[in-house]
Amino acid sequence: MLLLQVIVGGLLLGAIYALFSSGLTLIWGMMNFINFAHGEFVMLGMYVSLLVVMYLGGGPAAFGFGAAFALFVLGVVVYLSLIRYVLRGPMLAQILSTFGLALLLRYTAFWIFSANFVSLPQTSLSGTINVGGILMPIPQLVAGVIAILLTIGLHLMLTCTTIGSQLLAVSEDRGAAMLMGIKPDRMQALAWGLSAGAAGIAGALMAIAYPWSPSVGETFGLTAFVVVALGGFGSVPGALFAGLIVGLIQALSAFWFGPIYKDIVVYALFVALLWLRPQGLMGKA
Amino acid sequence: MKGFRVLKAVAAAATAFTFYAAAQTNAAESVKIGIIWPLTGNAAAAGQASKAAAEVAADIVNNAHPELGDLPLAKTAGLPNMGGAKLELIFVDHQGNPSLAQQLATRLITQDKVHVLMGAYQSSCSFTATAVAERYGIPFMVGESAAGNITGRGFKWVFRGTPIASDYARTYMRFFADMKKQGKKIDSIAIVNENTDYGTSVADAIVEEAKKANVPVALRIPYSASSTDVSAQILQLKEKNPDVVIFISYTADSILYMKSMNNLQYKPPMVIGDDTGFSDPSFIPAVADAAQGAMNRSAWAIGKPGSTTYKINEMYKAKTGRDLDDTSARNMQSFFALADAINRAGSTDPEKIREALTKTDLKPEQLMMGYQGVKFDETGQNILAATYLIQLHDKSYELVWPDNAATAKLQWPMTGGKN
Amino acid sequence: MNKIPALSPTVLLAVALLIYPLIFSGAFYLDVGVTFLLAAISASAWNIVGGYAGQVSVGHAMFFGLGAYAPLLCYKLYGWTPMAGIPFGIAASVALAILIGIPTFRLTGHYFSMATIAVAELIRIYFGTWDLVGAAIGLQGPATARGWWDLTFRSELPYYYIFLTVLAVLLSFTYLMERHRFGYYLRAIKVGERAARSLGVPVQQTKIRALVLSAMFTSVAGSLYSVKTGFIDPESGFGILVSVQMVIIAALGGAGRLYGPLIGALILIPLQTATNTWFGGGGTGLTFIVYGGIIVLIARYEPGGIYDLWEQISPRRWRRKHAS
Repeated sequence: MLLLQVIVGGLLLGAIYALFSSGLTLIWGMMNFINFAHGEFVMLGMYVSLLVVMYLGGGPAAFGFGAAFALFVLGVVVYLSLIRYVLRGPMLAQILSTFGLALLLRYTAFWIFSANFVSLPQTSLSGTINVGGILMPIPQLVAGVIAILLTIGLHLMLTCTTIGSQLLAVSEDRGAAMLMGIKPDRMQALAWGLSAGAAGIAGALMAIAYPWSPSVGETFGLTAFVVVALGGFGSVPGALFAGLIVGLIQALSAFWFGPIYKDIVVYALFVALLWLRPQGLMGKA
Repeated sequence: MKGFRVLKAVAAAATAFTFYAAAQTNAAESVKIGIIWPLTGNAAAAGQASKAAAEVAADIVNNAHPELGDLPLAKTAGLPNMGGAKLELIFVDHQGNPSLAQQLATRLITQDKVHVLMGAYQSSCSFTATAVAERYGIPFMVGESAAGNITGRGFKWVFRGTPIASDYARTYMRFFADMKKQGKKIDSIAIVNENTDYGTSVADAIVEEAKKANVPVALRIPYSASSTDVSAQILQLKEKNPDVVIFISYTADSILYMKSMNNLQYKPPMVIGDDTGFSDPSFIPAVADAAQGAMNRSAWAIGKPGSTTYKINEMYKAKTGRDLDDTSARNMQSFFALADAINRAGSTDPEKIREALTKTDLKPEQLMMGYQGVKFDETGQNILAATYLIQLHDKSYELVWPDNAATAKLQWPMTGGKN
Repeated sequence: MNKIPALSPTVLLAVALLIYPLIFSGAFYLDVGVTFLLAAISASAWNIVGGYAGQVSVGHAMFFGLGAYAPLLCYKLYGWTPMAGIPFGIAASVALAILIGIPTFRLTGHYFSMATIAVAELIRIYFGTWDLVGAAIGLQGPATARGWWDLTFRSELPYYYIFLTVLAVLLSFTYLMERHRFGYYLRAIKVGERAARSLGVPVQQTKIRALVLSAMFTSVAGSLYSVKTGFIDPESGFGILVSVQMVIIAALGGAGRLYGPLIGALILIPLQTATNTWFGGGGTGLTFIVYGGIIVLIARYEPGGIYDLWEQISPRRWRRKHAS
């Protein structure tokens, strides 16, 4: 019973990992670009949620949408003002640019909101339900389910809509896509918007249950890298699957070996897997 | 060509930097205190709160505050033995980086010519910064760092006003003995500690003292403070079912523990938080309805309206909008002890200040904290430092132990939350 | 006639570094100088594998940390001079480089970067739980020197010249490497692994050799750090920021160039010090807003690093001077 409880907790957290990692994998797969500032997008999503609750009121739907929208805009702006230019440069300049961006975003938040920890005021989502002896905190349950649905939604959007196929076309072959009348720049800006937007919602979902300060992004960033590399670059279903697995492994290893070993286990499995299957669980070889 | 602009900016920065040093030498008739704290990085919240506390303390010393009773140096403006000389604070930010702390200590001593130093929160940074002070012969007041061996390295110039890990551990054991006498069942305890220097030092000390006091430690769970999920730890606790759980945690994780315990319907007879996270002003609003009756270690109590401590808290609140927390208050107390020594030295000569520090003997009524006094032993550690235990009643902490200081009755077992 | 102008920037640089302590003799400026030299050494060490071979490791802190722990561990366990630990650090780093090089060099591009991050993080977390190395609290060096061999000096000056010597050795080594067949192999791999292989370059072997060399020097940098600081803990030894700083400095200056990391450090360290001096005490985080902002600007406008910019400017100047 206890074990089942651990598994459920791991999967619910894993669902959130999946959501923000799917944003990272989109960029990574489409532009072969590592965004070191992705964790900062999650952090900003959390602060936007707080601002919405404080100044506009409204429940989780309101601040979730607010965070998604604000971060979508930020993603597009970041692409148009910065990424567009470094994309053609060497890989090192790319690392440099997003690392600098991460510092810039983290400490701008720090400047505005101070270093103090904040949490969202109690929302309508509270309490715990008991399903056959397994306790599921409602905030985490709702967050987890929404995260899975959104990740699946993102995947469907990429595979079943025109915009999705245009996005994929750009990532497959930029030149050919241009010949088909697709504007790659616009599509890539859209991808950045979607990526940051997904991180924003993930932040809003995390904020329901988790207190934070401006440095919270660091933790999320590293987790997202592992999830993306496990799932395979560019694969949203891969990110979903890998996110759930990472959440599960963390919970189980924390329970069995102790919480300090949970990241050791995740990193060790990650390195082992990279060696055995470098393209990730669901990546193309 | 665009690159030129960048290059020019960098050149300008470099030149301006050299000028900065030149501007530092306009000496005034004041005592310079260099303060090294983490104002950015992971521990920034604590550093910022302590900075505000030090500024309030400097205001109390520099201006006349007769309303503050026996607090040394409050009545007069400035330091009376030095013709009313003012304290001048110079804050620097070590970002949690031990090597930067070392460099900044050097800068404060050699460039800013400070007379005394104070810092550095993280034990790692205190280690390196105190070594610099020792080398240059400048008194260093460690306001708050847990690791035992910061003092006791044979250093002459290092003093620590705060109680340390072993003091806390002994307090807990005395408390347990007291509770057992009253018929409370404490057959086993569990320790949950974050795994950096702070949590590790305190947890090690508790394990050691518990062995001496014959209190079985059923479980010790070290974890990383950046965890986003702590349910595995809660379930481990649930399985072992200890009578008391001691959390040595930072802010986000403390809140997360209390919320998750409530969600997972785990309620031990008593939870004790080891200050830090439990004392963060964000803690109570976040968990008030989940952690009723949780205890906390603190040497700071706001006290009744009209009391000195209450007035100090009001000053702090006017500045920051938040209540003074224990960590910042302990830093503030160390600051007062330092100011008192400088006044008694009657000089900015480091050797005289050091001597005055070794002769420090503050009585309980001269303190803002619940210590039995301030008196440094030959290693520089305050031997009269002590701590209270407080308990969350409704939306504030009440002092519940030791009995002679208590303002409210201890509730045992804790009530916890709704679930 | 021709040789002197080609050499002169090197000579100028060497002279400037040699006399810096005479001009800026204050302890603080010396300490900034020492920090700069250390950053230049680490980044130049990283440059061998990250710059010349184009294998972007973001986990070099693993070698830095091993190098940093070894001296203080020797001191703690046996009371030896910390110096005695330096070879152990190098040996451990070489072993680790081979151990992780063999599997991870099958990976390319971002996969390799990610794998190195993961290994460094693994080691960092493990050291934080390992009592022998002081777990989370870390290790301290001798509080006061028992003799010169403890390398615990009251002044920064000896550190400055020790570090400068190490930097000079490392750069000379890199200079020779550039001109050796090995250097050509590395650049061939950077341009295209498949093409290099078809030309008969032993790709895997060359990459591992480069990593081993890079690890050795990074380990020495770590040892210098801990001996000078007198303290090491998991975060300052193996933290991701340690790795990232090496990458940033090399990329800023110009990766894969002899003087790239040096130039990067020449910009970044004064920049860090200046922003922290001006804004640090205010506690508003402005330090990092400015610092992050400038990194972004350089990446955006000078993606090849400052060295590229310098090369663009200097020949033009040269020609202008000689045309008249």
